[in-house]
Formats: sequence, structure tokens, C-alpha cells
Amino acid sequence: MKCVEREQLFAYVHQMLERREENEVRAHLGECPHCQAVVEEFRQLDEVLGEWRSVEPSPWFDARVRAAAAEEDKHARRPFLGLRWVRALVPVAVVALVFFGVVLMRRSPQTPQPVAQQQAPQVSQPAPAVPPADQPKQLARVQPPAVTQPQTAATAEEDELSLYQNLSVLEDYDMLANFEVLSELPAGAKKVVN
Amino acid sequence: MAIDHDLELMLRVRRGDAESFDELLRRHRLPLVNYFARMLQNRELAEDLAQEAFLRVYQARHRYQPEAKFTTWLYRIATNLALNAIRDRKGNGGPASADGEGREGDSEVARLPDAQPTAEQQLMQSEREGIIRAAVEALPENQRAAVILHKYQEVDYRQIAQILGVSESAVKSLLFRAYENLRGRLQPLLKGGQL
Repeated sequence: MKCVEREQLFAYVHQMLERREENEVRAHLGECPHCQAVVEEFRQLDEVLGEWRSVEPSPWFDARVRAAAAEEDKHARRPFLGLRWVRALVPVAVVALVFFGVVLMRRSPQTPQPVAQQQAPQVSQPAPAVPPADQPKQLARVQPPAVTQPQTAATAEEDELSLYQNLSVLEDYDMLANFEVLSELPAGAKKVVN
Repeated sequence: MAIDHDLELMLRVRRGDAESFDELLRRHRLPLVNYFARMLQNRELAEDLAQEAFLRVYQARHRYQPEAKFTTWLYRIATNLALNAIRDRKGNGGPASADGEGREGDSEVARLPDAQPTAEQQLMQSEREGIIRAAVEALPENQRAAVILHKYQEVDYRQIAQILGVSESAVKSLLFRAYENLRGRLQPLLKGGQL
């Protein structure tokens, strides 16, 4: 009579065998004390392992898990909301860029050379603070006969010029000279600023 | 085939039902904490990892697909966490068991109520448990996971195969080798052996 392998007996004890194999092992065990002893040892081992008792989670375990889940919810929401705000800002940013682009394009003719031409009407109608005698001749010379600047634009520039001339806070001419419109000021006006 | 109740609960969690998550927590906290406690033999770490496992379940609720039993999925997450923690601890040069001898003094996790044993019986029981813990801890990681899942979590060997990602025959062989190792180490306690 050939004994059953230990692994087979182990599988028998832990119900890992197919029905047919199980029946074969059971039949063998009925007539083999050695294999019976092996099976008994496996059962004993299982019983001994069962002596390792369970522990109970701490009373605050559930609360910790719930808090972690709530925190997870909070974190999960943040990027979503952030993304929505970013998406909402994209069209606003595009509109703003287009607006500034248009503004810059409309202002671009006011580069130094054309400015001289555009400011010609100011020479003929100087601001009250600038005496006509102080007008630079060169400026008068470059005045083209056919200046077709719209009246409204000319008036706006006059207003801007007079605003700069009358500002009492303009004390540092060196700094302010960087401003395009001030570089066009007549000599008398510069003194006022200084 | 009856639908797994855990699976039903998990599907409800996926739909945003917080009550169902609470119920899953109540049903599995004890086995899960004990799984980690036996794998790592460190109660504090066991609770941290059990919390992490539940959190991962919660995080993955929208992606959850009821392809296998809920416990298969849960223990797969738990086993990965436990094996990583064991490897981290080994990598850090720390002791394999952080609370090996201090188990009784740890008041954070209370023992499950037992039939009031005498002080002598308690001492003897603790000594026997110490031997069992040491024997299980001495097993290679995969054997340890297989034995704990099989013996203490009462997980079927087919399910263990899915959890560990190996074949069923490999699990049978793994369990056999593990129990043979344990048999050798626990000889003093077998055959009615008393300490």
C-alpha cells in the first residue's frame, strides 16, 4: 500500500482537493495509520495557529477613516474648481489681449516723427501756459500744409499737453523727459517743469 | 448566484452613498486591522495601513468595476500595502517586528473579550502566542501573506490566488510549504506540548 504524499494530505485537510481525489484520500486514510497521523498533525497545527487571538481596532479608528475620506473629498474638489476658473478666465484673457492689441495699434502713429506732424495744430493754437514766442521754429517749419488730423484728436492732445504743463508735481524733468509728449514741450514749458 | 453584499455596497459608494461606505468600514475594519497586525506585528502601523487601505477603496470608488469579489479587491490593496511596508522596514534596517515583546503593554488596541482566564493562563497563552507570532513572522513574505489570508482571514485558496496574482496550484504549493515551515517551528506546541 503506497502512502499519499504529504502535500496531498495537507490539501485534503484544507479542502483543496477535487471530489474524486478527496474520496481516494479518505479511502486510504481508513487503512493507513501513518497517513492518519500526518493528517492529525496538520489539524493540530491548524488548531495551534488558532490560538493567535485577534485584536480590536482603537475606538477612534472609524472616525479617522471618515476624516481621511472627507479630506479626500475636499482635495478632489479643489483641482476641479480651479480648472473651471481657469477655463472661465481664458475668454476674458483673449478679449483683454485683443483690446490692448487694438489700443496699441491705434496709438502706434504717435511715434516721434509722425507726432511732430500730428502736433502741428497745437502750434497754431498753443495752450494758455505756453507763450507763442517760445514756439520752436523747427516745429512750425515741419507743419505740413495738408494736416488732416481730426479736430477731436487734436483737441484731446491739446488737453493732454496742457495737463502735463500745469501739473505742479512734475519736478523731475530728467525723468519726465522720457515721456514722449514732454519732449515736444517748448523751452519755456521745460523751465516751468524744472 | 447571489450578489455579494459588499459588492452591492461598493456600487452604492460609487454612486456617492456615504452610508454604504460606513457599512463597508464596519464590516471590514476588524479583519483588515488584524490582517495588517499579523502581517506587520505592529498595531499602530496596522491601523495606519488599514486606514490607508480604506482610503484607497474610497479614492477608487468611481473606477470600481465589480469584476471580482469585493474582498479580493480589498485584500489585494491591503497585501500590496503590507508587503511594501515590510520591504520599507527591511530597507530602513528596522526590526522586522516593531512590537514583538511589547504586545501586552500596548493599550491602544484592546484585545477581543475572552472568557476571563487566570493570570497564569494568561501568561501561558501569551507565551504560546509569542511563539506562534515568531513562527509566522519568520516565514517569507508571500508565504506569510498566504497563511494569514488562509488561516485568519478565512479566504479561499482560489481567492488567494487572485489576491497574490499567482495560479491556484501555486497557492496550494505556497500554503503547503508555509504550513510545513510552521510545523517545524511550532513543534513545542504540537502533540499537546505545554510550555
